[in-house]
Amino acid sequence: MYHYDELDQGLIEQRVAQFRGQTRRFLDGRLSEDDFRTLRLQNGLYIQRHSPMLRVAIPYGMLASYQLRKLAEISRRWDKGYGHFTTRQNIQFNWPKLEDVPDILAELATVQMHAIQTSGNCIRNTTTDHLAGVAADEVINPLIWCEIIRQWSVLHPEFAFLPRKFKIAVSGAATDRAAVGVHDIGLQAMEQEGEVGFRVWVGGGLGRTPLVGHSIKPFVRWQDLLTYLQAVLRIYNLHGRRDNKYKARIKILVKDLTPAVFAQEVETLWQRIKDGPDTITQAQLQRIAHLFTWPEYEALEDEHAGVPATSNRAFARWLRSNVHKHKQPGYAAVSVSLKATGPAPGDITAEQMECVAELADRYSFGELRVSHEQNLVLADVRQRDLFALWQALDGSGLATPNIGLLTNIVSCPGGDYCSLANAASIPVARAIQQQFDDLDYLHDIGPLDLNISGCMNACSHHHIGHIGILGVDKNGQEWYQVTLGGRQNGANQGRVGRVGAGGALLGRVIGPAFARAQIPEVVQKLVTTYLQLRDSENEHFIDVVERLGIESFKQAVYAKHAEPDDQKAKEMAHA
Amino acid sequence: MPESAASKLIRNGQLEDNPWRLYQPDPAAGCALPPDTPGWMIELSSWKELLHAQPGRKCPVGIVMPSDGDCSDLMLDAEALHARKDVAFIAIQFLQYGDGRGYSLAWMLRQEYGWSGELRAVGDVLIDTVHYLARCGFTSFVMKPGHDPALALESLRAFSGHYQPGYANSVA
Ligand code: SF4
Repeated sequence: MYHYDELDQGLIEQRVAQFRGQTRRFLDGRLSEDDFRTLRLQNGLYIQRHSPMLRVAIPYGMLASYQLRKLAEISRRWDKGYGHFTTRQNIQFNWPKLEDVPDILAELATVQMHAIQTSGNCIRNTTTDHLAGVAADEVINPLIWCEIIRQWSVLHPEFAFLPRKFKIAVSGAATDRAAVGVHDIGLQAMEQEGEVGFRVWVGGGLGRTPLVGHSIKPFVRWQDLLTYLQAVLRIYNLHGRRDNKYKARIKILVKDLTPAVFAQEVETLWQRIKDGPDTITQAQLQRIAHLFTWPEYEALEDEHAGVPATSNRAFARWLRSNVHKHKQPGYAAVSVSLKATGPAPGDITAEQMECVAELADRYSFGELRVSHEQNLVLADVRQRDLFALWQALDGSGLATPNIGLLTNIVSCPGGDYCSLANAASIPVARAIQQQFDDLDYLHDIGPLDLNISGCMNACSHHHIGHIGILGVDKNGQEWYQVTLGGRQNGANQGRVGRVGAGGALLGRVIGPAFARAQIPEVVQKLVTTYLQLRDSENEHFIDVVERLGIESFKQAVYAKHAEPDDQKAKEMAHA
Repeated sequence: MPESAASKLIRNGQLEDNPWRLYQPDPAAGCALPPDTPGWMIELSSWKELLHAQPGRKCPVGIVMPSDGDCSDLMLDAEALHARKDVAFIAIQFLQYGDGRGYSLAWMLRQEYGWSGELRAVGDVLIDTVHYLARCGFTSFVMKPGHDPALALESLRAFSGHYQPGYANSVA
């Protein structure tokens, strides 16, 4: 993981001092509410329904145990003893007082953390694969590149006030776990003729106008990465719409100009600034690379099939869903599930933070990651430690064996916390989790992504959930629209149209919206239909939707006298 | 004290009095251009006229363009602009401090069009934005009313280091 040098540390401390001054001027009435709004947003501070919300940056999801301990301490002292991990690999605190925020930021700075650019119309936290650097299918380790982009984007003088927020994701593996196809810029690290570079997608994004990105440049050499990003951002900064915030994202500009024309404009500008002072030199790359430390693995052999043999059914289940293949023999990556039934998805208590920090120290080189599915990952665990780790996690309610499965629900805070919400999302997630609390059944259903957003801002990426649920407002009442067939990756790359970068695909609405109480039953019907239609256990939910389309699912859900024999389906699945 | 704020100018890292005012053309009276006296700022459109109408002008003018303007308009005559001694500065008028276009325009004037003279930020200029502005090549600032120029001067030094080595250093 990257360790700050003096420049990094100096910058965040000076940013705290600057924000302290801004907050003081605001509280003294020397800075107007309007002027302060943008400034505080640039530092992650929202004023919303109950009280301010502070979003703290976790650059590309990498976190050290001492940082997690500090987050626990902050949550106790200034929040209500818990935090909420977001789909941008950040953490949010929901209860701090405005006047305390400078002190919170000062505490964060002592462990090399900050809230810079976690909201506002600027370049946000760059995200990546939560298995970066350890995934068995990795081609290029994206972490150093993420850090280069982080430094370049932090307090960037030209791009601090864009038409709208701007999100960059980087993937370096065969399977795109960073969802590069639904970001303002998606970068796929790759190698061409022995040289590292990036394929560039632009104009993806969810929200009101969900669009999959377009590849505008097949290969940008690593030296040119920042000048190319600069060209894209400058075209956007100058020409993106500022008159209507719903049309201000880069995806609208790309769409209005057409991707070909946009690409041409970028190219023309880039030719003028390419090889300029923002070109990355070997020396800069070395300087940043040297500030990274990497786990010092022991020479070990893989255990059988990469995981220990066991007759313990609960442990076996957890191994199957929460443990991932590692590039290093004898090691595994472990997902710590923050999706137990009960707490809001992504929520973690101070005690749990301390527990995970302790386990990271004991079993995973003192490091961990936040996944964009709102779980934590201990990325470097010896396979022979898995049983002990599982026991410890289980004791803290962190071993729910549901990663990749239906109850690993991605959900935004929704109506309980967010002032923009049309509807609640956390209680809906809970009701679905309760509906599918039979773990054998859950495992039989197999891989299934379910995402719930409380409004069309789509913070939980419901468009790319295999099942997506969206809160909508009908005459002041909460309703929920269901989409089917979205995915963040893996769709047939050869197809054109809706299939984009990394194989992202947007779900289709299945029909009229439902009342809150109906949702668990609707999901049950979708699952039952899938179980009836799949040709084998190896054909996953999303594969059946792709093979057969949404029609049969629609019929099952909307049929007047449907008698979906759920019990029978359960038995079939168990058989 | 809006008046006194606007009458102060941050220039080359110091506070100065600001004698500059915008010339309001009065075509009805046949006055499209300011007289050849000191302290006039004119809009970009007028400057094109002035270029031809007052070839021997003695008192330099400041040229103002809005943050949503197109600097290629200005730079079409880049050569003339450089050749003439009667341009005191180019000013970008920020319609809102969050209008990021002004930042790109400034940096393009510097980097692409090679404007090496004074570049001034006017309009919605905050204590909190001068640091970014300076890094995009602005060298003088007229603060928005209510934003103390002395504090703004300090805030130019808010950060002792920075990433983005290609951009200007804020502490001139
Ligand atoms: S999706 Fe809507 S309700 Fe949910 S967090 Fe985002 S803005 Fe709030």
